[in-house]
Amino acid sequence: MAAIEEQGAAMGRPNGSPSGGPTGGISSRLSMQTRRLLWVWGFLALPILFYTVIRFYPTLQAFYLSFTNWDLLRPAKLVGFANYIKLFKDPQFWKVFKNTFTYLIVGTPISLVLAFAIAYFLDRVRFMHNFIRALYFLPFLTTAAAMAWVWRWFYQPPPIGIINDVLGMAGIPQQPFIRSPDQALFSVMVTAIWAGLGFQIIIFMAGLRAIPSTFYEAARIDGLGEWAILRKITLPLLKPTTVFLVVFSSIGFLRIFDQVYNMTTNDPGGPLGSTKPLVLMIYQTAFNSYAMGYAAAQTVVLFVILMIVSLLQLFILREKK
Amino acid sequence: MATIELEKLVKRYGKVEAVKGIDLSIADGEFVVFVGPSGCGKSTTLRMIAGLEEISAGTLKIGPDVVNERDPKQRNIAMVFQNYAIYPHMTVRQNIGFGLYTSKLSKQEKDKRIEEAGKILGLDDFLDRRPAALSGGQRQRVAIGRAMVRDPSAFLFDEPLSNLDAQLRAQMRIEIKRLHQRLKTTTVYVTHDQVEAMTMADRIVVMKDGHILQVGTPSELYESPVDVFTARFIGSPSMNLIGGKRSNTGVEAASGGDILIGIRPHDLAANPPAQGDGIRLTGTVTAVEPLGPETLVHLDVDGTPVIATARDKSVPAVGSQLTCSAPSGSLYLFDARTEAFLGRS
Repeated sequence: MAAIEEQGAAMGRPNGSPSGGPTGGISSRLSMQTRRLLWVWGFLALPILFYTVIRFYPTLQAFYLSFTNWDLLRPAKLVGFANYIKLFKDPQFWKVFKNTFTYLIVGTPISLVLAFAIAYFLDRVRFMHNFIRALYFLPFLTTAAAMAWVWRWFYQPPPIGIINDVLGMAGIPQQPFIRSPDQALFSVMVTAIWAGLGFQIIIFMAGLRAIPSTFYEAARIDGLGEWAILRKITLPLLKPTTVFLVVFSSIGFLRIFDQVYNMTTNDPGGPLGSTKPLVLMIYQTAFNSYAMGYAAAQTVVLFVILMIVSLLQLFILREKK
Repeated sequence: MATIELEKLVKRYGKVEAVKGIDLSIADGEFVVFVGPSGCGKSTTLRMIAGLEEISAGTLKIGPDVVNERDPKQRNIAMVFQNYAIYPHMTVRQNIGFGLYTSKLSKQEKDKRIEEAGKILGLDDFLDRRPAALSGGQRQRVAIGRAMVRDPSAFLFDEPLSNLDAQLRAQMRIEIKRLHQRLKTTTVYVTHDQVEAMTMADRIVVMKDGHILQVGTPSELYESPVDVFTARFIGSPSMNLIGGKRSNTGVEAASGGDILIGIRPHDLAANPPAQGDGIRLTGTVTAVEPLGPETLVHLDVDGTPVIATARDKSVPAVGSQLTCSAPSGSLYLFDARTEAFLGRS
């Protein structure tokens, strides 16, 4: 039993309990093995308890609720797959589904390429390096609500909206941005990308710094150009970092909510639902329509999407032996 | 194949001069070892030859051409680094082949060269493995293989054996030397290990504080070092130094004298015969290091630590008084003030 449990443990950990030793009392009556197990499980109990109550129980509860018609007032009644059938027949769901994947498929690559490019060049800048890095990181520290409101201003028509002002100076006709069903989603996406950029740059830079400089020197002596070094050495060696950021950023875009909600407060997810992501739909179903069962079914769908996308990415980007 | 000429080569980092105008000419096919303590400028010099560091002043010629302003790739040199610099995401074959990345050879020709290098270095069975599956010595061989396939005009080694354990280091030393005898490519090798310098070099360059102290064959450096620093740096254990003065019969130990007497531990025999010329020292045994065929005896001679060699099997007791002697002819004399070499006695 104990031997089986040990298999997963890291080697070379100190395995005696601090309370060990022949001091009498309860501890001396138990074997060393038992005392060690008690000690280990004592520490593990707290997070396990926390996760069970705070995470796993509500998750399972959501799965259960998705099969009910609970609306906060009447007791929940099991309705089978009715919520799911309704969802898949709901045109609004497919619209939202498409929006969510547009955020994911367009947003993730753009934000990663942008973050990598900035990190790659910032890594070579010595002048005011820390200051510039801090500037990029600042949006990550800012509240989404405040940030979204500032960007709403940017997107306003002239003379309030600075972007339209600049466009006007360049002789380009003014754009509706978040007022247009065609442009709103991308306008929100820009804000979301900008907000996450700082974090991704920091992680990319850490990854770049971890590559030994002799790798580059050896490549220079072997006669590789900048582009070949980037393609043959930097990018392959940066792969673990990239995998992490792809998954992390994808999950972020699949769960996008606060930027959308704050930039379209008059009509959340508008105009005409053109910016609405899945999480906002869930929020509205649950807390505007109070259709808890239906909202739970939507969260289960989101859960499945997140899981599939993450596993797929980990599989595609896995280390090939 | 090429000669390498350094003329008044200087490297400055801001106001600090790391290399202070050194002159050296390396013949075609020669194996030159730069040796010196950390921070003496030996690696910087090598990196200037490689083109990884800009040259602040002076000229560097490889073959007939001045290459100061050329990129590393245009100098046609190959370099082996201390941490191997082989890529973990490529197989051994790809790593070795990486040296040919820019070459215009055909695919078959490249493969042939890789196979050949693999065979010479004993890596034939590992060509399709990743570096992670190799030992330190094998990794270093991959790095050497990558340098070899290029057929460069010079090999540069930057402390290539420092990350290996003692046994492997001894083995790789011989392998690199054999490789040089086989390829006859001009080689510049940087190390802080005087044993590597002595065993591998055609000529040794001893550096200190950005200057070249002495250039010579290993035996020249061993037999007639220019000063105390070189004398103590070359040879292991380091040369003993005691104060002394000239006398009618030659030299004798004396504190506050105007010369320093250098005696190699190897020449200073414990338990000598009662009579004989040369120098005799008596001191207290502070430690003994039995090495098998001989025993190193650490003595305290009037406050100066001295190492002597006991060749008989008797190991002297720590704390006992011991007399040892070195025959005349084995002594090195230095000026006590300038530390310059005066001659042998």
